[in-house]
Amino acid sequence: MSRVIFWGSVLLALAFLIVPLVLVLPLAFNEGSFLTYPMDGFSLKWFAEIFTHGQWTRAFWNSLRIAFGAMIAGVLIGGLAATGVMLTGRALQIVLTGLFVSPLVVPSIVVGVAFAYAFGRMGLSGSYWGLVLAHAILGAPLVFLSVMTSLRGLDPDLDLAAASLGASRSHRFWHVTLPLAAPGFLAGALFAFTTSFDEVVVALFLASPESTTLPVALFAGLRDRLQPTIVVVALLLSLISFALLWLMWWLQSLGRPQKH
Amino acid sequence: MHASPRRPGGARLAALVLLVLPLAIYSFLYLMPIGSMVALSVDNGELGRSLVAFRDADRSDANARAAALLTDMRAMDAGTQGATARGLNQNLAGFRSLFLNTARKSGDIEPTMAGLVAFDPRWAEEQYWQVMERNTAPFTLRHFGQATGLVLDDNGRLTAGGDDIYVQIMWRTLVIAVQVMFVTLLISYPLAYAVANARPRFAAFVLVAVLLSFWTSILVRTTAWVILLQTSGLVNAFLLWTGAIAEPLQLIFNRFGAIVSMTHVLLPFAIIPMMNVMRTIPKSQADASRSLGAGPIETFLRVYFPQTIRGVAVAAGTVFILALGFYITPSLTGGPRDQMVSFYIAAFVKESLNWGMASALSVLLLGAVLVIVAIYGAARWAMARSGGRA
Repeated sequence: MSRVIFWGSVLLALAFLIVPLVLVLPLAFNEGSFLTYPMDGFSLKWFAEIFTHGQWTRAFWNSLRIAFGAMIAGVLIGGLAATGVMLTGRALQIVLTGLFVSPLVVPSIVVGVAFAYAFGRMGLSGSYWGLVLAHAILGAPLVFLSVMTSLRGLDPDLDLAAASLGASRSHRFWHVTLPLAAPGFLAGALFAFTTSFDEVVVALFLASPESTTLPVALFAGLRDRLQPTIVVVALLLSLISFALLWLMWWLQSLGRPQKH
Repeated sequence: MHASPRRPGGARLAALVLLVLPLAIYSFLYLMPIGSMVALSVDNGELGRSLVAFRDADRSDANARAAALLTDMRAMDAGTQGATARGLNQNLAGFRSLFLNTARKSGDIEPTMAGLVAFDPRWAEEQYWQVMERNTAPFTLRHFGQATGLVLDDNGRLTAGGDDIYVQIMWRTLVIAVQVMFVTLLISYPLAYAVANARPRFAAFVLVAVLLSFWTSILVRTTAWVILLQTSGLVNAFLLWTGAIAEPLQLIFNRFGAIVSMTHVLLPFAIIPMMNVMRTIPKSQADASRSLGAGPIETFLRVYFPQTIRGVAVAAGTVFILALGFYITPSLTGGPRDQMVSFYIAAFVKESLNWGMASALSVLLLGAVLVIVAIYGAARWAMARSGGRA
């Protein structure tokens, strides 16, 4: 009886989690224009339509350029913040950690309004740099957290050993601590990239028609009319996400043997 | 953690050097925008800046008031005159033309009460002067009044009796967030349990499913639900095919669609914290409980579940906070009566360009989130102090 409850609830929940995407994404290859089964036949024509339509490819390149910029800026901000915070006293550490992590808690619609108003007055609204900086602020907390985790997990004996061999503080930092924390920086960079690449709300407020990102274009498409091209974009976005997740796993598996 | 006790002197300088850039960027590009948004929510707009001489004039002296008003009018450029007239007209219909006509001729009018009345007899009516006196402060609670169903009385105090539409919307936001939180916890618990306790291969499969879902963009997952639930969508097609229904059901653009899709999107945020707590519970406890004669259900309810409450609480808080400010998913899958505060904030910014209301609602939403975070922080601190595991 208890096993029935367990398996029943687990399988139902698992189906709810997986089935929507498994069912919907293959419709990108549907020959017909109705988004339902049975499919009319296998076709790549909707992919072709995406790649020949300027608006989707332009949005894709915008997203990519913005995500790269936001990743670099986010790693710089979050990485510096994490290494700096590690060197401060306990009380300051709590306050600064709260500050640097806080963009994760503030609802994105609120950050969106704040950015839209303030960036508008600074003349950054609609520009490439406006979006890069806004997304960097959203990605920096994730870089901060993963670098923090990485620095905290370091074996203090390694630093001590280097010191006993006569290495100066700065030498130890650059040649011992930082290389050991590299996995944290890499994971943080991937988090920052994905955060920017998938972000909708802030981009909705800041992007001009020329700097529209792929998620904003998809959001507009969903509100407008449901077409098979939308499923194609959704499929491509998920494939990019999965590729990044796989990259993360691969990087972590590279980092592991060094620790032991 | 480990290193702070043996870092004297130079560490402080190094910390300062490292922190300068992130602190500058956070202050300039994050704290300042949020601060200016908060200021905007109580900002009186052009009204609070353009009628400065009038604001300082002696209220009991009609001629001084009239002279100050004309001085202010002469000091304004055409744009400011228009904005001020618009602001006054929002309070009293017809003020716009009166103000603009007078402002245009403000150089020729004799700076006394009699001069103004001679130009336009409406200036003799006290109501126009009252509106200006009430609305020339640099700060206003007008937007918060509108958001909370209160109105400003003649003395500028908030009193009951306004339109309570935004109170209803905030209440609805709260109700939806609670509904989504409960459904999400109900579905996440067995999945987290499976990751922590099932056979390794199955546990790993569930974990991969959770992580893939977590890593897939929210918008993509919402897209899937829009396509599944639409009138000619997969769910309706399936139900029609089985003969369970004769007519397609309305599954989207209503509360059902909003809650189902929001739950699906938020599932991983609930599973991950619960899973982390469940993994720390030794399996031998269940064996011990069983060997002492407790049945599986009693073992779960009295031994296992109480230990997972901390994880459930973290999951509940995370999902609740995310649901409270959720925009993308409910705006695509909810109907007009299922839109949350975030939808109206976006509409104020994108459509009606009413920044005052957008920031007032944002400040209220941000306040609610910060209160919840503070409660969680306090609870964690209290638990750490009482010796509980933090």
